[in-house]
Amino acid sequence: MTQDPGADSAGASGSSDGRRRYELEDVGFREVPKRWRKFYRHWGGPTDELAPNEMLCPVCKVIVRSVREFREGDRLYCMPCMTRMVVVSDGNGGLIAQVVF
Amino acid sequence: MAEFLSQYSIQRWLEACPQGYLEDTVYGHEAGESEPETVMMDEAQREAAIRTTTQLVVGERAALAASSGLVNAAPDYASKQFLATQTLDEARHVEIFTQRMYDLGVKKDDLESTLSQFANPNLIKFAEVLLEKVEAKDFIAGVVGQNIVLEGMAFTVFEMMEAGARDYNPKFAHTLQGTIADERRHVGFGENRIGSLIKENPEKRPEIEKMQRDMTYFMLATFADSFSGNPDPIDAPAEAEGASVEWQGVNLATATPEEMEALLAGTVLGEFKTRLARIGLEYQSPSMG
Repeated sequence: MTQDPGADSAGASGSSDGRRRYELEDVGFREVPKRWRKFYRHWGGPTDELAPNEMLCPVCKVIVRSVREFREGDRLYCMPCMTRMVVVSDGNGGLIAQVVF
Repeated sequence: MAEFLSQYSIQRWLEACPQGYLEDTVYGHEAGESEPETVMMDEAQREAAIRTTTQLVVGERAALAASSGLVNAAPDYASKQFLATQTLDEARHVEIFTQRMYDLGVKKDDLESTLSQFANPNLIKFAEVLLEKVEAKDFIAGVVGQNIVLEGMAFTVFEMMEAGARDYNPKFAHTLQGTIADERRHVGFGENRIGSLIKENPEKRPEIEKMQRDMTYFMLATFADSFSGNPDPIDAPAEAEGASVEWQGVNLATATPEEMEALLAGTVLGEFKTRLARIGLEYQSPSMG
């Protein structure tokens, strides 16, 4: 399994795709084994502003974090609820994660 | 599908739960934590906490009966394995909330009579609708009822209670945090496993939607009973006022019971609609007449 839950990105290749990259730190999400904790954080509710490298899992309401900004078509995985998702447009200029069954 | 089901191994559950977020916990909380003195010294607050915890024990007993019953109804071994881990999760929830009853001063000999005294009749009916499907070994309806409806409700209720308890009762908040982490897996299994089965068995939809409507009716009646005239419906007493108890953009310390009931019911129903739509079911609104 890839270590970054958002690394399985369509068309992405290292940093040559022009995406902004992020240094991730463990922010206290203890619900997954230690080596994956930095890739998740708790959601603060509707007023919680997501960074470009963050997506809200619609199933379990955990925020999935990637080392690079998300783009439409990226695939991601939520380890706490074991759900696979794909990044799609929300129709308002933003991006959301859509569950893939 | 096979790849998806392969995630449900006992090994992964061991790494995530007992060796992960539950490591070093004692009955779900940190060692040495206790109920706040403000609760233990005030009889009204202590009884309110016992009343609230009773509903948690009753709900978790239903979840234990349902998940264990569904093991033998599951059509594949990956689902059986997952439901076996969920059965242990639910048994743990029964144990930790029962322990809270004891921590609040309920004597072991008085546990069952206390549960009978305070259990909400509508919550019992909610559970009966689900367990009827489980007893009939109806796997699809059982998982929708258990992992989408019951767990979806519990997930939201626990999050609200955890927000209310975070500052004034760390022991209870920590107990709830581990439970919420468990619920994430349970709702994930419900959606991921059932989505494809609903597509393959479209004739099941009307029966499952009726079950959802009946369970929703009794859930809303339970909320109405719990909040109506109850000054401390989420087990977060007045001492919490002024603390940071915001949930879904609302300050729980200053919200009225009616506002909290509307917030909780609105959040749970919104989640039901979204979750059911994702797995191919249409939310059925109950008649509250």
